[in-house]
Amino acid sequence: MRTHSRQAIGPLMAFVVAGCSGPQSVLHPAGPEALGLAHLTWFLFGFGALVLAFVLAAAAIAVRGPERWRAVVASRCMIIGAGVFFPAVSLTGLLGYGLWLTRASIPDTEGREPLQIEVTGEQWWWRVQYAPSTRSPVASANEIRVPAGRPIRFTLQSADVIHSFWVPNLAGKLDMIPGRATSLLVRAERTGVFRGQCAEYCGKAHALMALTVVVMTPTDFASWLENESRPAMEPDKPESRRGRSLFLEAGCGGCHTVRGTPAAGTIGPDLTHLGSRHSVGIASAAMNERNIARFMTDGQHMKPGNHMPTFRIFAAVELQAIATYLAGLR
Amino acid sequence: MHESHQASSSLRDPSRREEERRQLEAIWALPKGWRIVSAVNNTVIGYFYIGAAVLFFLLAGVLALLMRSQLALPGNTLLSPHTYNQVFTMHGTVMMFLFAVPAVEAMGILLLPQMLGARDLPFPRLGAFAFWAYFVGGLIFFGTLFFDLAPSGGWFMYPPLTSSHYSPDIGADFWLLGIGFIEISAIAGAIEIIVGVLRTRAPGMSLDKMPMFAWTMLTFAVMIVFAFPAVILATIMLELERTFGWPFFIAAKGGDALLWQHLFWFFGHPEVYIIFLPAAGMVSMIVPTMARAPLEAHMLIVLAIIATGFFSFGLWVHHMFTTGIPALSLSFFSAASMAVAIPSGIQVFAWIATIAAGKLRLDTPALFVLGFLFIFTLGGLTGVMVAMVPFDWQAHDTYFVVAHLHYVLIGGMVFPLFAAFYYWAPAFSSRALSERLGRWAFWLMFIGFNVAFLPMHVLGLQGMPRRVYTYPAELGWQTLNFVSTAGAFMLAAGVLVFIADLVCNLRPSLVSPAGNVWNSGTLEWLQNGLYGLRSIPHVETRYPLWQEQHLARDVEAARFYLPNAPTGTREAIVTSPIEAEPQYLLRLPGPGWPPALAALFTAAFFMLLTVKMIAMALGCGILAIAFILVWAWGSDPMPTDKVNIGAGLRLPTYVSGPRSHAWWAVVILLFVAGSLYLSFAFSYLYLWTVAPAAWAEAAKGGVPDGTFAFAAMGLLAVSSASMYAAEGQLRRSRAGFGLMVVLALLTLTGALVLELVGHWRSDLRPDASGYAALVYLASVLQFQIVAAVVVVGCYVLVRLAAGRLNSERRVTFDTLMLLSHYANAQGALGVLLVHGFPRAVA
Amino acid sequence: MTVAGAVFLFAWSGIYNVAASSGHWAVVDWFLAFGMRNSVALRARAIAVPPLDDIERVRLGAGHFHSGCAFCHGTPDTGVGPIARQMLPSPPELSKSVRTWSDAQLFWIVQNGIKYTGMPGWAALERTDEIWAVVAFLKKLPTLDGESYRALALGRVRLAEQSGERMATNDSNLQAAGACARCHGAGSSGPTSALVPVLHGQSRAYMVAALRAYAQGTRRSGIMQPLAADLDKESIERLATYYAGLSPTEPAHGSPSGADAHGRILATKGDPKRDIPACDTCHGRDRLPRYPRLAGQSAAFLAGQLRLWAAGHHTSTPGAALMAPIARRMSEADIDAVAAYFSGLSRLPAGGAP
Repeated sequence: MRTHSRQAIGPLMAFVVAGCSGPQSVLHPAGPEALGLAHLTWFLFGFGALVLAFVLAAAAIAVRGPERWRAVVASRCMIIGAGVFFPAVSLTGLLGYGLWLTRASIPDTEGREPLQIEVTGEQWWWRVQYAPSTRSPVASANEIRVPAGRPIRFTLQSADVIHSFWVPNLAGKLDMIPGRATSLLVRAERTGVFRGQCAEYCGKAHALMALTVVVMTPTDFASWLENESRPAMEPDKPESRRGRSLFLEAGCGGCHTVRGTPAAGTIGPDLTHLGSRHSVGIASAAMNERNIARFMTDGQHMKPGNHMPTFRIFAAVELQAIATYLAGLR
Repeated sequence: MHESHQASSSLRDPSRREEERRQLEAIWALPKGWRIVSAVNNTVIGYFYIGAAVLFFLLAGVLALLMRSQLALPGNTLLSPHTYNQVFTMHGTVMMFLFAVPAVEAMGILLLPQMLGARDLPFPRLGAFAFWAYFVGGLIFFGTLFFDLAPSGGWFMYPPLTSSHYSPDIGADFWLLGIGFIEISAIAGAIEIIVGVLRTRAPGMSLDKMPMFAWTMLTFAVMIVFAFPAVILATIMLELERTFGWPFFIAAKGGDALLWQHLFWFFGHPEVYIIFLPAAGMVSMIVPTMARAPLEAHMLIVLAIIATGFFSFGLWVHHMFTTGIPALSLSFFSAASMAVAIPSGIQVFAWIATIAAGKLRLDTPALFVLGFLFIFTLGGLTGVMVAMVPFDWQAHDTYFVVAHLHYVLIGGMVFPLFAAFYYWAPAFSSRALSERLGRWAFWLMFIGFNVAFLPMHVLGLQGMPRRVYTYPAELGWQTLNFVSTAGAFMLAAGVLVFIADLVCNLRPSLVSPAGNVWNSGTLEWLQNGLYGLRSIPHVETRYPLWQEQHLARDVEAARFYLPNAPTGTREAIVTSPIEAEPQYLLRLPGPGWPPALAALFTAAFFMLLTVKMIAMALGCGILAIAFILVWAWGSDPMPTDKVNIGAGLRLPTYVSGPRSHAWWAVVILLFVAGSLYLSFAFSYLYLWTVAPAAWAEAAKGGVPDGTFAFAAMGLLAVSSASMYAAEGQLRRSRAGFGLMVVLALLTLTGALVLELVGHWRSDLRPDASGYAALVYLASVLQFQIVAAVVVVGCYVLVRLAAGRLNSERRVTFDTLMLLSHYANAQGALGVLLVHGFPRAVA
Repeated sequence: MTVAGAVFLFAWSGIYNVAASSGHWAVVDWFLAFGMRNSVALRARAIAVPPLDDIERVRLGAGHFHSGCAFCHGTPDTGVGPIARQMLPSPPELSKSVRTWSDAQLFWIVQNGIKYTGMPGWAALERTDEIWAVVAFLKKLPTLDGESYRALALGRVRLAEQSGERMATNDSNLQAAGACARCHGAGSSGPTSALVPVLHGQSRAYMVAALRAYAQGTRRSGIMQPLAADLDKESIERLATYYAGLSPTEPAHGSPSGADAHGRILATKGDPKRDIPACDTCHGRDRLPRYPRLAGQSAAFLAGQLRLWAAGHHTSTPGAALMAPIARRMSEADIDAVAAYFSGLSRLPAGGAP
C-alpha cells in the first residue's frame, strides 16, 4: 500500500506539468486576473498534494507501520488534531486567501474608464457590441478584439437560454442568464489570439459555441475599431459585385446586417467585416471562401442544429460569387 | 447480566422450542415460485432492490462507455450530437436517481433489521411498494433511450433550455414526471428507515450502542425528508410551465431561471451527502471487523455524521458561484463548503486510527476500503479547491469538476459499496465471493478509475468544458481524452470481473448463509432465518458478538425475547427511541399483491400522463389508490390483550397516539409536506426579490379580494375545530363522530374552492406572470394535501361503518387527524402569504 | 414442420387456381371481406376526423378523384369501367358503397390501400391534408349525379368538341382532358378550390423547379406526383411559361381582406425575437425568381404549406430546407396572419415579380 502514494504523486505531477500552455488554458494566463487564478491553482495543487501525502502516509503506517508510530496514529490526539484542528486552521487560511483573491479579481481600473463591450449569448453564437464612449456602438459577432493593458468591462446577457462566457486565459467565467445582465471586468496584458468557449450547457451545438478573443496593442486596436465601425467595403471584383447582388436578392439581409447595404437583419450575426475574422461559424473552420460556401450549403453538418437554414438553391458559380463577396468584407 | 432477560428457558423443553421454530418458519415463509413478487420480507425486497440498483449501475455505465468512446477522438462521429446529449443526460440521471440513492437505501433495507436485531422493518409493504415503483418506473424511464424520447437537458435540467420553447420534445416531461415519482419511492423508504432505526431496535440497544451504519442511515433518511421536497416542487413547477405555460422560470414574464437552480441545488447538494453518508457508515462497519478493533472515536464520528448532514443544507449555492450573485453570498457559501470538510476529515482519521489500533487483514473488503480512502481523500481535496470561489470561476462546468465529482462519488460511494458486497455476501449467500476474483476486480477498478479520471483534472484546466459531444483537434486534448477512455474501459473490465464473481459464487440464501467468516462483532452476523433471529436478544454493548460471550448460543437456544409468535402473525418489538426499552409488540403484514399492483399503477399513472393519455392515466391513478386502500384495509389489526414475549415481559399489541409507529410515520410525512410547502414559500419570496414590481402591482389591484381570504380562513378554522371535536367524540364513543369528520372534510375542501374562486374572480390567471403562477401554485399544493385528507377521511368513515374503528382501535383516525390539522395549517399559511404579503410590502 | 411441408407442396403443385376470371368461392369471398372490414375498423379507431364539410376540400378531392380514382371506381354517370370490372375483387362503385364506411375508415383505406386488391395506397402518405380532401369528396359522392359531378371535378374546363382527326391522333384521354386546368384554372378563370394554389403570374423558374421536384418525388403530394411524373422536361417548361404569362385573376374564393396588422408586421419586419425573418426578404420585390411570389396567393393554400413544414414534413427540396426551420418557429396565429396578409395583396401584372 505504501507504493500507492509514490505511484500516485509522480504521474499526478507529470500530468499537471504537461498540460500548461494552450490557447484556452487556465494555466497560461494573459492578464492579471487570470494570473492570480493560475497562482491559486498551483498553490491549491501543492496544498492538496501535501495533505493527500499526509493522509496516505498515515494510512500506510496504520496498515503496516512500526508499533510506536501506529500507536500515535491510533490516538485520539491524532484524530482531533488531524481531523479537526488542522483542517479548521488551514481551511480558514485558505478561505482568507480566497476572499482576498475574490476582491482582488476585480481589477483596479486605475481611474481609466474601462472599454465597454456588450456580449449577448445566443444559441449558439455570440453577439458582440463595442460601446466605446467616444463613438456610436459598433456591432460584430463571434470574435472579440480588445486592447492590451486597458480594463475592459464585459456586460453579459442572454437572448434565449443560460450561457456562460469563459476565456480561461483572461479570467474566470460568468454566466449569461436571460432577464439579467452580469458584468465582468478584465484586463489583458499579453497580445495574442485566445480561445473561449460557452461553459453552460445550452443545447445541441453547445460543444461548438466557441469564441475567439484577439488581444492587440492599443494602437492596433484603435485602428481596427475605426475600420470596424465603417460600413462594408465596396466590392472591387465583378465576381464580388455579382455576389453582393445575389446576397441581397436571396434574402440574406432578412437575418444578417452588412452596413452600407440594405441588408439590416438582426436575427443572425453581423457580417459587415466578416472577412477579417479568424473563423467561419465555428472556431475550427478557418476563414476562407471554401468554408463560407460550405457553411451556407452544409451548415447543419458543420454546426448541427444551428438556426441558419441550409441554402442549396444556388448554382456552383453563384455560390462562389457570394463566398468571394463575403470573404472580401474585411 | 443478561440472564435476567432470558426466558425461563431451562424449563422449556426442546420439543416445544422446535415447534415454536417451525411456527416462526411457517409464519415468515416466502411465497413460492414467481409469486415471490408479492413478498414483503426485508431480505427479499432488499435483494431485489440491490439487484435493480446494480442493473441500473451497469446500464448507466454502458452509457458512460459510449460517451468516453465518442470523446476518445476529436471530431468523432460515433454518436450524433442529439444522441450524445441524451446519453449524458441519462447517464447522470440514472446514476444519481436510479443507482446511487436506491443502492444505499437497498443496503439499509437489507441490513438494518438484522443489524438492529429486529425481525423486519416496521412497514414491509411500504418497502415493497417503494421497490416496485422504483423498478418499473426506472425501467420505463431508461427505455425512453431506445425510442429517441430520452431527455437531453442534462441531469440538472436547467430552464429556460428545458422549457417547452427550447425543448419541445417529450423527453423533458419524461424526466420531470419519471424522476418526480421515483422520488416518492425514496421518501417512502426514508420514512421506513427513520421509524425502523428509532423504534425497532433490539431491547437494550440504546442510541450510543447503535451500529454506525444505523446512524448514517438515520441521517440519510432525515436528509431525504428535507432535501427531496425541494426538487419535487421544482419538477412540479417546471412541468406546469411546460404544460400550461405558468411562467415560473421565464424572465420575460416575471419568473427567474435562477429559481430553479436554487431549488434544485438545495436538493442537489444534500443529495451527494445522502449518497455518501451511508457508504461511510458501511466503511465504519467494515473497518472494525477487518482491523479486528472497535471503531475509534465512536461518538465523535456520530457527531461528525450529524454535522455533515446538517451543514450540507447550507452549501447549495456553491453550484452557482458563476451566476453573478453578490460577493457576500459567495463568501458565506464558500466558508460553509469548506467547513463541511472537517466532519469528513474526522471520519477519515478515525478510520485510520481504528486500523492502526488493530491489525488490518488485507482481504478484498479491506482493499476496497483502502481504495476508497485514497480516492475519496483526493476527491475531497479537489472539493476544497472548487470551494474556493476564484478557483471555481475557472473550474466550474469544466472537466475538472467532472473529475472531482467522480472521485467523491465513485470513491466515496461505489468503492465502499463494493467493499460492502464482498463483506456482507457471506451473510446472505451460501457461498462467500471469491478472494481471487475480488482482487482482480479491485485492482482493475482502482487503476482503471484513476487512469480514467485523473487526466480530467488537467483537461479541465486546459479549458475543456463539460457536456460537449466533441472537441477540435487543434487544442491538444486528444491524448488525455484517449487515455481517459482507456481507463474507463479498464474500470468497466473490473466491474465485469465482479459480475463474473457474482455469477460464479453468489448463491442467495436467507436460511443457510455462509456465516460470520470475518468474525465480525455486530448482530447481522448471527444465525438468521427467514424470520430473522431465533430470539431477539437484549443488547448491552456495541459489538455484541465480541463483547457478550454467549450471545450467539443463547439467541439460538431461544433464551431471549420473542422466541415464538404469541399472536400467530409476523411480529417485531417496538422500543423507545433513545434507551430501546420494549414498548409494544408490532404485528406485521405478510406477503400480498396490493403493494406491487399499487406501484405498477402508480408508475403507469405518471408515464401515461407524460404521453398525454389523460383518461387512461386517471384510470390507473384511481386503481393505484384503490390498491393502496385495499392494502391499508388489511393493516391496523384489532387490539388484543397484552401478550407474553418471553423473559417475563408482557407487552400490549396495539398502541395509538404519539407512541405509535404509525403516528411517527405520518409525522415524518408531514415534515415532507412541510418542506415542500416551505420550498414554495421560499420560491414566492425569492421571486418577490427578483421582480418586486409584480407584487407592488398586485397589491394595487391584483391581489385576490380580502373577503375570500377571511372566508377561507374561517372555513379552515371550522375544519380544524370539527376535527378536534371528532376526536373528542371518538374518544367518548359518541355518535356525532362521523358528522364531525364530514364537516371537517367539507370545510377544508370549501376553503380551497373559495381560494380558487377568489383568485379567478380577481382576473388572476396563472399563465400571465410568475407572480400569478405562484399564487395558483399555493392552491395546487393545497389541493394535493386536501385530496389526501379527503381520501383518508372517506376511508375512515368506511372503517367506522365496518366496525373497525372505535375509541381504542383508532390509529386510522389519528392519521386523518394529523393530516387534517396539517392541511389546515398549510392552508392558513397559504392564505396569509398570498393575501397578506403583497399588502404588507406595499 | 409437417404443416409447413404440406403448404409448400400445395403451392408447388399449382393446384390452386389463381385466375381472377374464375372468381372466389362465396365463403372465401365473405371471409376475405369480413377480415378486411375488421382490420380496417380496428386501425381506423384511433384516427381523429376533422370537419369535412369544407367545399374547398371537396373540390380538391373531386379534382384528384377524376384522374386518380374514376378509372377503377367509375363516376356517377359511367359506373365502373369494363376493364376495372374484371379485377378480383372488383372495385366497388363508390357512390353506393361509400355509405357503409365511416369517415375514419375511408381515410385509412385511401391512405394505405388494401392488400390483395388493386386499391393502392396514397403516393405521399404524410399528406393527410390531401387524403382528407378525397374523403370529403367521397362523402359527397353519393349525392351527386352526372352533371353535378362534372361541375365539381372538371371545374370550368369544358370538353370541346374534338374533330375526328384530333381524337384519333391526339393521345389525350378525354377523361383527363385539360388536366392542370381542372384544378388550377386557366385563361381568366382561377383555381376551383382555395386549397389549390394560384399559378397565374407565378414565377416561371419556381414552377419549373416545383414540377421537376414533384416528378422526382422529392416534393411530396399524392395528387401532383402522379400527374407530374407523366410530364417530360419540355412539357414542364411549356406549362410553366404558359401559366407565368397569365394575368392574375381575382381570387376565386373570397380571401379575407388581409388587413391584419400582425400579418403585415411579420411579412415586412419579421420577429427577430423569435428568429423569424420578414417574409419579404425573400418573397418581396427584386428577389430571386426561384422564390415563389406570395401576393394574391390563396390563404388556405399558404397556411397549409406552412403547417406542413411546421409539422416536420421534410421534403428534401432546397426550398423546404429554407422554409421548414422558419415555419417551425411560427405559431398557429402567425401562420394564419401571414396567409391572410398575402392573399389580400393584389397581384402585379403578368411577367414576374410583384
